[in-house]
Amino acid sequence: MLWLPAACGLLGAMLSLLGRRIGVVQVTDIPPGETSVPANPLSRLSASGALALIGSLAALALAIGYIADYSPGSHGLTHVTDVVWIAELGIHYKLGIDGLNVFMLGLTTLLFAAAVIAANLREWERPRLFYVNFMLAESAVLGALLAQDLALFVAFFDLMLIPFYFLIGVWGKEPGRVKATIKLVIYTLVGSLLMLAAAVATGVLAAQQGGGHITFVLSSLQATPLSRGSQEWIFLFFAAAFLVKMPAFPLHGWMPDGYKAMPIEVLMVFSGVLSKVGAYGFLRIVLPLYPQAAAHFQTLMLLIALASIIYGSVTAFTQTDARLIAGYSSMAQLGFITLGIFSLNPQGAQGALLQMVNHGLVVAALLFIVALLAQRAGGSEDVRDMGGIAFRAPVLATIFLVVALATLAMPGSSNFVGEFLILLGVFKAKLAIAVIAFTGVVMASVYALRLFIRAMHNRAGPGVQSREITVRDGAVLVPLLAVIIFMALYPQLALRRSEGSAKLAVASAQRAAAPALETGSHGKPALGRTLAVAEASAAVKGRE
Amino acid sequence: MSATTFGWLVLAFPLLGMLTVALGYRSLPGRSAGWIGTGAIFLAFLAALGALISMQGHSPEHRQMVSSLWSYASTVGVDAQVSILVDPLSVFMILIVSGVSTLIHLYSIPYMNEDRGFARYFSYLNFFVFSMLLLVLAGNFLLLIVGWAFVGAASYLLISFWYRRTTATRAGIKAFVINVVGDAGLVLGTYFIFKHTGTLDFLKAFHATEVGAFGHSSNNGDLLAGCLLLLVGAFAKSAQIPLHTWLPDAMEGPTPVSALIHAATMVTAGVYLIARMHPLFERAPAAQDVGAIVGALTLLIAGTIAIVQTDIKRVIAYSTMSQIGYMIMGVSVGAYAAGLFHLMTHAFFKALLFMGAGSIIGAMAGEQSLEKMGGFRKVMPFTYGAFIVGGLALSGIPPFSGFFSKDDILLVTAERGGWHWALYVVGYIGAFLTAIYTFRMIFRAFHGELVPEAQELKAGKLHHAERPTNPATGEVEDTDVGFPGPFHTIAERALPMRVAMGLLAVGALGSGLVQIPKVDFVIDDFLRPSFADSPLYASESHTRSGLLIFGIVLGTLLGLAGIAIAHRVWVARPGTAEVFRTRLRPLYVLFANKWYFDDLIGGLVVRPAGALGSFAKDTFERVFVDDTLVGGTTGLVRAGSAAVRAAQSGFVRYYAALLVLGVAGVGFYFLLQS
Repeated sequence: MLWLPAACGLLGAMLSLLGRRIGVVQVTDIPPGETSVPANPLSRLSASGALALIGSLAALALAIGYIADYSPGSHGLTHVTDVVWIAELGIHYKLGIDGLNVFMLGLTTLLFAAAVIAANLREWERPRLFYVNFMLAESAVLGALLAQDLALFVAFFDLMLIPFYFLIGVWGKEPGRVKATIKLVIYTLVGSLLMLAAAVATGVLAAQQGGGHITFVLSSLQATPLSRGSQEWIFLFFAAAFLVKMPAFPLHGWMPDGYKAMPIEVLMVFSGVLSKVGAYGFLRIVLPLYPQAAAHFQTLMLLIALASIIYGSVTAFTQTDARLIAGYSSMAQLGFITLGIFSLNPQGAQGALLQMVNHGLVVAALLFIVALLAQRAGGSEDVRDMGGIAFRAPVLATIFLVVALATLAMPGSSNFVGEFLILLGVFKAKLAIAVIAFTGVVMASVYALRLFIRAMHNRAGPGVQSREITVRDGAVLVPLLAVIIFMALYPQLALRRSEGSAKLAVASAQRAAAPALETGSHGKPALGRTLAVAEASAAVKGRE
Repeated sequence: MSATTFGWLVLAFPLLGMLTVALGYRSLPGRSAGWIGTGAIFLAFLAALGALISMQGHSPEHRQMVSSLWSYASTVGVDAQVSILVDPLSVFMILIVSGVSTLIHLYSIPYMNEDRGFARYFSYLNFFVFSMLLLVLAGNFLLLIVGWAFVGAASYLLISFWYRRTTATRAGIKAFVINVVGDAGLVLGTYFIFKHTGTLDFLKAFHATEVGAFGHSSNNGDLLAGCLLLLVGAFAKSAQIPLHTWLPDAMEGPTPVSALIHAATMVTAGVYLIARMHPLFERAPAAQDVGAIVGALTLLIAGTIAIVQTDIKRVIAYSTMSQIGYMIMGVSVGAYAAGLFHLMTHAFFKALLFMGAGSIIGAMAGEQSLEKMGGFRKVMPFTYGAFIVGGLALSGIPPFSGFFSKDDILLVTAERGGWHWALYVVGYIGAFLTAIYTFRMIFRAFHGELVPEAQELKAGKLHHAERPTNPATGEVEDTDVGFPGPFHTIAERALPMRVAMGLLAVGALGSGLVQIPKVDFVIDDFLRPSFADSPLYASESHTRSGLLIFGIVLGTLLGLAGIAIAHRVWVARPGTAEVFRTRLRPLYVLFANKWYFDDLIGGLVVRPAGALGSFAKDTFERVFVDDTLVGGTTGLVRAGSAAVRAAQSGFVRYYAALLVLGVAGVGFYFLLQS
């Protein structure tokens, strides 16, 4: 039944295409420049938008069902769909849910639903085509997350780029739309080609090594690990593709223009979900299939992550474009996630997994807030044109504050536990890197609060009109906010479900890295003693 | 009800108060938000009393109680629950926090009466108290860190409460960022401890330390690193050098806020932390020494700065820093009960002083400069009385409370012997400075010629500025929102303010009597179960009489001498200060520039980070990322742009439709197959 969530997106897409013909609700003719809110918000709803909304909500409902259904503590694949797709090449259409993707599924469907609601709040040129692309993107992302076959993953990974090219190229903001599209195409195309080559090589080499039939099913590939030499170059190819997607320093050249050009609704899912698919790929594909290479390149990857954190942070606090502040902060946060993954231990992986979900939630909300701020600052997204917006908008200010504090991963916010686990993982792997990464924690507080203060506080900018958030905008933000607050109070919900799979994902890489670690750090392996002490302390009698 | 149930109630009331006020900000009539907020904290205080009574019902060995509500993050070896630890130390703290906070809430109702952010103010204030209570009740490191950060966030919100002032928002972000530095230290320190003990739970971690998680010799490298990092957290929150620069700037917040968080509660968190972590610190004596020395330096440096400040709130702020220095020094040398005793007395007299300052600032219509004050003694007798009580307690004149607690700390310090005598001497120099700056402030504000505002008050009118100005910059305030308001209230005219100040004055006057050397040991005995494992704690009661009497006499004499000097310089012979300023020019410049700490941090940290950012933005992004990485593909870009233009113009629909149909076809194929 697992094709269902992916199909929902598709269904939404097709329905959107048919939208006008069904004609559920006709698009009202609002003259251009007319900005007043119509009395009945439904009258603004285009048929295709409404249908896309139905599709995305259905997918969300299914994802919630899967989360509820996934039993805590397990780590195997559930709801497996396995059909031979191309028998000659050993490619299966194999989907499955485990602890790694079950919450990513929830994130993806939630953000797409929120973004579709947001998109429904305004008029689009050629709305059917817009929603078709939008829903196609959702299907592709879900496919990439669920894929349990390397070739299928690559196919979905590439498929998810196509709708985004159109979404930016056609509906992007001027100026810079074309330039941004081209940059994005070039960067991601190069990454995709490398990944395709690497995937093919994996299948072929594994078949040679195993002496059997060629296959791309992940579990089979995992059973026949490649030689160390092959692992290493293949690793680099995959890493390039994923790091571009995140983006990581210095492969982020597409990011500033891309962020500026994308419609905010598109950017919400792009920044919230697509960047995580890269990080997810490391956990799903790279660590299990190329464990020795992951151990070999551990330090390199940690340094790239560290560079992303520091570079993203210092750039974020000098930017004045609110979107770019969000963009560079996202780069820094993805750096933390990479850091967690390549600490190659369960703590880091768990933290990274949790952080992917939480950062996705937070950045989507933040970007939508940026759009709301721009509406109140005469259309400008530059913080120099903002200021004093909190005045008549206490609810908006409160929501923004919660989101800003979560962005900087303040303890007690949703992003904190993930960051705590990530840094704990890095601390165990490479102490020095953990210490330097903490500068990123401090700088996050500077750029996040700076954005908040310059938008909401201080004296009002010349073009600023302080207005409270509308109910319609609240429909986008409040669900996101509710999930953010819930994740702050009870991260255990996700942690319990992902623990087994996270351990499994890093297990072989951790083993491969272990000897290197023992010679690398001359500190005594404290684990044995720690366990003994833990047992001793467990014996401390409960004093009540 | 068990003590832990009361503990949860202590947390629940402020949280409910905050939510009620925040959610009902539109519909709550009149000033009811203030009374709801005050009531919530008072209920928390009652619950804290309940916890006290319930806990005292247990035998001393069973006074450490843990209760957990739900699992917060227990995975891959981490074991964090939402759990509280109710023991004498935490009960002591919640009593002080909720008690003093109730009075400050009460004081705030008339003080903030005219402010448009009235409801917002009380929801922030309740949130702050909730955070502080969470901090002291937390039963594990993770929850402690959460409370720690919440306190920082709440203090940020309150410092930049009048958010149209750029001075306030700047002070707010400064406080927040320095607090995050402290949070980072705390987290990293926790890692070091977790690495060896394998648990985040306090009691389990302490027990593991006891049975040798860090080996059996003291100053284990990782333990020392962990403790020093915890100290970074403590210094940031408790405004110890060099992480103190946020505290004086934090005076941008409304005055009751200064009383609450920058005197009575938040800044004492570092003292609590060191006391709570004593099983770790006692095995890392080098870290204790660092704490003691930093505390001593802070109390001295802050004292010298306070003498030359002209802003009345900043004088009190530096005095707070200095007094926290005593406490940090105390708990670092093992004088836990004494340090916490001083924490309590200081909460009373410092909150009282700030409230008095608020009253004066009310009479001055927002003006905070001592230069412009004078002669309020006759026209504001109540405020003057409060100031005298608070001032004498601060200066350590017997029988006021500060005398007993400060003396207690210095006594235990001396008993440690060796180089600790240097700390003892510094402590008394600090006491001397304290008396001087305290009475300089009192004499300048209350004695001398009546300033116009005082004369107006004498004539029965309270001065209100036509156009309120920012006391820091002289800028005309933006009175649309979040304004300090043209109308102010003074204690003489508002009963709730008088009640709050009166009760605090009683505390400042009498709370020292609970622990008089050789007579009674209420604090010592009460806290003992929390420190049962500490060899240093047990030694506190063996006091040499000679040293005791010497300390009492010395303390009293230095205090009186300081007051006498202040009287001579600022009352008897005005102009003497000018002579000092010229004669001791280098010292004056050093003090007036706050020992250049702000400039140092600016030059070493802030400006380099900014420069790096500008480099990244203006040079690296443009030259390397755009030109080199992207520029190489400019040709491709040109060629491709034609393609995109084509895509726009129509065949895109076909393409998309085909793509969708194709994928859908494949999808349906599998649908039929499965």
